[in-house]
Amino acid sequence: MLEMNPFTIAQRQLDAAAERLGLDQATHDLLRWPQQELRVTLPVQMDDGKVQIFHAYRIQYNTARGPAKGGLRWHPEETIDTVRALAAWMTWKTAVVDIPLGGGKGGVTCNPKSMSEAEKQRLARAYIRAIAWTISVSKDVPAPDVYTTPQIMAWMMDEYETMVGHHHPGVITGKPIPLGGSEGRGDATARGGVYVTREAAKQLNIDLRGKTMAIQGFGNAGQYAALLGSELLGLKLVAASDSRGGIYNAKGIDPKQVVDYKLKSGSLHGFPGAESITNEELLELDVTVLFPSALENVITAANAGRIKCKISCELANGPMTPEADDILHQNNVFVLPDFLANAGGVTVSYFEQVQNTYNFYWPLEEIHQRLDEKMTRGFHGVYQMYLREKVNMRQAAYLVSVARVAEACKLRGWV
Amino acid sequence: MDHTTTHSGIQALDEVLQGIRSGDNVVWQVDCLEDYRYFAEPFAEAAIANHLRLVYLRFASHPCVLAPRPGLETIELNPSLGFDSFTREVHRLIEGHGPGAMYVFDNLSALVVEWATDELLANFFQITCPFLFELNTIAYFALTRGQHAHSAVARIRDTTQILVDVYQAKGRMHIHPIKVWDRYSPQMFLPHLVAGESWLPLSHSSEAVEVLTSAHPTPLIETTRPLAPWESVYQKLVHYREHPSGLDETDPEQMALKQELGRMLIGHHPIFNQLADRYFTLDDLFAIRNRLIGAGRIGGKAAGMLLARRILLTEKKKNGVNLTERLEDHDSFYIGSDVFFTFLVHNDLFRLRLHLTCNSATSDEEFKEIEDRFLAGRFPATIEEQFRAMLDYYGQAPIIVRSSSLLEDSFGNAFAGKYRSIFCANQGNPETRLAEFMKAVKLVYASALNPDALCYRSRRGLGESDEQMAILVQRVSGMPYRQYFFPTLAGVAFSRNLYAWNDRIDTRQGIIRLVFGLGTRAVERVGSDYPRMVAISHPNLRPEVGAMVAKYSQRQVDLLDLKTNRFDSRFLSDILVDNHYPNLRLFVSVMHDHYPYDPVSGKVEGITNQWVLTFNNLIHQTDFVRVMGEILVTLEEAYGQPVDIEFTAFVGSDERVRINLVQCRPLFLPGSMEDVSMPTSLEPHQILFRAHRMICGGFVEQIRYILYIDPQRYHRLSSEAKKSLGRLVGQINRHPAIQGNKIMMMGPGRWGTSNIALGVNVSYADIDNASVLVELALEEAGHVPEVSYGTHFFNDLVEGQVIYLPVYPDDTASEFQVKFFKTAPNIFLELLPHAGEYESILRLIDVPKTTGGAFAQVVADPQLNDAICFLDKDVATTF
Repeated sequence: MLEMNPFTIAQRQLDAAAERLGLDQATHDLLRWPQQELRVTLPVQMDDGKVQIFHAYRIQYNTARGPAKGGLRWHPEETIDTVRALAAWMTWKTAVVDIPLGGGKGGVTCNPKSMSEAEKQRLARAYIRAIAWTISVSKDVPAPDVYTTPQIMAWMMDEYETMVGHHHPGVITGKPIPLGGSEGRGDATARGGVYVTREAAKQLNIDLRGKTMAIQGFGNAGQYAALLGSELLGLKLVAASDSRGGIYNAKGIDPKQVVDYKLKSGSLHGFPGAESITNEELLELDVTVLFPSALENVITAANAGRIKCKISCELANGPMTPEADDILHQNNVFVLPDFLANAGGVTVSYFEQVQNTYNFYWPLEEIHQRLDEKMTRGFHGVYQMYLREKVNMRQAAYLVSVARVAEACKLRGWV
Repeated sequence: MDHTTTHSGIQALDEVLQGIRSGDNVVWQVDCLEDYRYFAEPFAEAAIANHLRLVYLRFASHPCVLAPRPGLETIELNPSLGFDSFTREVHRLIEGHGPGAMYVFDNLSALVVEWATDELLANFFQITCPFLFELNTIAYFALTRGQHAHSAVARIRDTTQILVDVYQAKGRMHIHPIKVWDRYSPQMFLPHLVAGESWLPLSHSSEAVEVLTSAHPTPLIETTRPLAPWESVYQKLVHYREHPSGLDETDPEQMALKQELGRMLIGHHPIFNQLADRYFTLDDLFAIRNRLIGAGRIGGKAAGMLLARRILLTEKKKNGVNLTERLEDHDSFYIGSDVFFTFLVHNDLFRLRLHLTCNSATSDEEFKEIEDRFLAGRFPATIEEQFRAMLDYYGQAPIIVRSSSLLEDSFGNAFAGKYRSIFCANQGNPETRLAEFMKAVKLVYASALNPDALCYRSRRGLGESDEQMAILVQRVSGMPYRQYFFPTLAGVAFSRNLYAWNDRIDTRQGIIRLVFGLGTRAVERVGSDYPRMVAISHPNLRPEVGAMVAKYSQRQVDLLDLKTNRFDSRFLSDILVDNHYPNLRLFVSVMHDHYPYDPVSGKVEGITNQWVLTFNNLIHQTDFVRVMGEILVTLEEAYGQPVDIEFTAFVGSDERVRINLVQCRPLFLPGSMEDVSMPTSLEPHQILFRAHRMICGGFVEQIRYILYIDPQRYHRLSSEAKKSLGRLVGQINRHPAIQGNKIMMMGPGRWGTSNIALGVNVSYADIDNASVLVELALEEAGHVPEVSYGTHFFNDLVEGQVIYLPVYPDDTASEFQVKFFKTAPNIFLELLPHAGEYESILRLIDVPKTTGGAFAQVVADPQLNDAICFLDKDVATTF
């Protein structure tokens, strides 16, 4: 069986929400397609003097609610349909947390593993020269994504500023802090997830203090979820896992120690004072909060019936298949869907853009406070929809975001 | 033991010695062969007359001691194969002939000419004589008088039952029994005149004085006319060198002597010798001899290291890099290969070794006992004294005791990791340091008997080869930092790069596997640690991007802990407590928000947990890679074939890199480098997969079985189950149904790794029947594209001529037919019916049965960097 085109999947998700919302045909049709697509061909001189041609894209999916916002991927398998799908999802993500941005995405078909730093820099600058006319802080703001880094963002910003002849740091986010990057970006995804978990627990009447959490995937988001879940919510970490297996201790694992160990050793394997556990076993632990923070499709129809947590906060993208979603919903597992739960990242990116525009930078505490406000509001918007429409939280999140974007389109008189 | 008295063939002799007994070894110390024959001939005749089995062991170039005759079995032996082989062969013969045989050996002095040292001669005798004694044989030996070191003669005297001096004085033959074991008469040990029917003792003092002063003009001088080339060649060369005109390189005799000295120190491999003759000066050879403990050869590893250094210093100017300025000096010592045998002989370990070499089925527990026996052994006092002198020289500087066997690292045999190398932190008082050092030497010696090494030798047809264990003692490069000692940089480098993770990398240029700290981390597959791979053609490229750089980096550092006096591995962040480590900015990048940033100033920012070893600034801002590249090119040119090296390096305050070359050997690539032709007209459904990354050359057809380990399912197994699965792979590998057929094994991650989470847990013995080994690198399942290239496991594959291919199924260019591997009928349970729980993970595919007659075939072209596995017939298949 052929794998489904990602853009077809995105369109179907929209179709379901549109039907439920009773969107009129024109609005529905408008939202089914990107508002603007740019394809460019980039000649780049390589270190050996030869010129290589790269194909690249930038898609502004919808800008009704504000300038497009979305990452820039450098990947050898990049296709325009992947970029379209991701741009659509960015549109819903910015809408669900109600930040005044649209959705966009960009991609360059290239293999960064076969490029030197100098070549990457030339490619980054060539890309910006080609798309400069369609980006700015008020049009479209790219950010790092697959295989792009803060360093690449810095080169791009520099190229853009050279072209326009003045400082314009907000044209790109995810920059290194000395060049206008925002404080608080490192833990933004996990922090946002922890805030919405807190709000969910309140609605479910669960006192999280002293309750248990398990974290599947111990990269950036997973590590901060361990630290912040403990610090902000009083959760007790009992299990964590990474690609090399997991660790478990019913009495609790010190989050600071385990993060230190992971940073030091590169894996959780061998962490003292805990027993080994597989990723699968971890997902099925009887814990209060589960943070799936690693891969796609780890919860499927096959294991969904055995998931025992009360709240599943999806820090990873797409950790659950649609069938699993239904099973968990039936089993009263409260799911915080990925594009709400992990929207902290794009929210702090938005803050970066705002700070760049003001040329005034907030202290860390202020960023945390503003992120809390955004995530809390985002959660309640979705939760109200969940109660009202009696759908699962993922469907509720789609309904909220599509409705917001549709409303903006209407108010603008586009449809 | 019953010792029956036997007739020596000479009544008078029997009277002097009170008869020759079964079990006696009789050594005749003579001036000429005629004198030996005088006694051997009647002995032989008597044995034949008494219908005893008589064996003449013929190995010398001198005329026959015994002419052929009925009743005499003459066996020819070749001592030039080396002490080890010769001794083994003699033992086999003796064992085969059983108890009660009579032996006449050629003059033992001839052995010295072949083996260079008296030490080995004495060793041979000390091993052989007790065996003959046990079998109640009688054996005659001869030794040329005055041509052997006193210590060697003393050992022979101590071992044999009878030692008789034979000499001519005043024109008449005399015998003088020096030792006659368990027999005594008041006149037995006086000189006797060989005359008449009864040989009379020279009991009158005036007679004795006259005869003895004429026969022994210098009784206390060790050797009047040294025969052993070890001494004689050296003495002659010293003489020439001290001559006012120095050594004459045009004089054939002097050059022949130099070559002979080279052979005695280095060995007999023709290619190696050619290089040695070309590059080593006499001073080089003298320098080796001056740092040699004991006698004998220095072994392959030491020779490779010295030769490579000399090549680099000779061909010093390459493309603007002056290698002389970039090469660190060394002050290594060598423990001669003879010391190994002397140790075995002194501690009654030789026959144990003889037994194990023939029968390699030793368990780990048995080997532990063997190690304990070695550890209980003692060295001769003279050797121990030399050890002390060497340790006094090094003081408390850490050293490494490295195996350097005769076969090791020479052309065609890498023996990688089979024999041990042991670090000595070398702290404590002199007695402690000596004890630790000797322990290390004994463990290296014991490693010659480890089951892996014996199995390896046997598989390579080297079971009977002369294998002696020399040792290379090197100063550990580096400097103390806090309580630790380690080199800043170390690693291995290869003059050819088969780990090309993309098409831009030029495989004809080399690759470096670079680590911080001791290089052990670069040669072993360890945990979740990753050395930095630097492609010399494109040093700026790396197989990871962005945040993944930290994941695939080196976390732990191998080092010597001077406080605990031992080798250890520590996390980088535990070692570097601040940013004061010299030139730190060249080695680490700083993680901010999970992305690495290269330091821009001399002061590295952040805290230790944020530092990740990338070596970016070293690679980008110094000429380290260029220097390494020139070293590899120079060595490959001189060797005439690819090489691999081990090195350490440090960066001076001027940021100039200096390299210490610690090992060099010819590099052998898996499969073959011969031209193969890629198939051009395949139907898409015939293709099972392609590989474009690290490619080993070769061609394997008629692959009947494919063992496929499902990566995703493997990933979900518990640790215990993963271990069990490794054992099942071994069972399939050895299963009778598989034997005689070709099998390709495919599975996730890094095979042979010590960390089972990273890949299939096997040892080389579990896969040695495979023709092709495929490592499936699926990032999704957490199996990373780090390959075994350059590790000991990889070297095993090389030498086993197993074609090794990393395949990236996620890459569409791999054309990976996942459906074929996942759905073809699985015959695994037919072979291992007890392992039902693994059926869904371990799939054994009978290819022709599945495809209706097609076999799998692998063609790998190292030149094109392209490999393909395909079905050899276009059969109708549903896959």
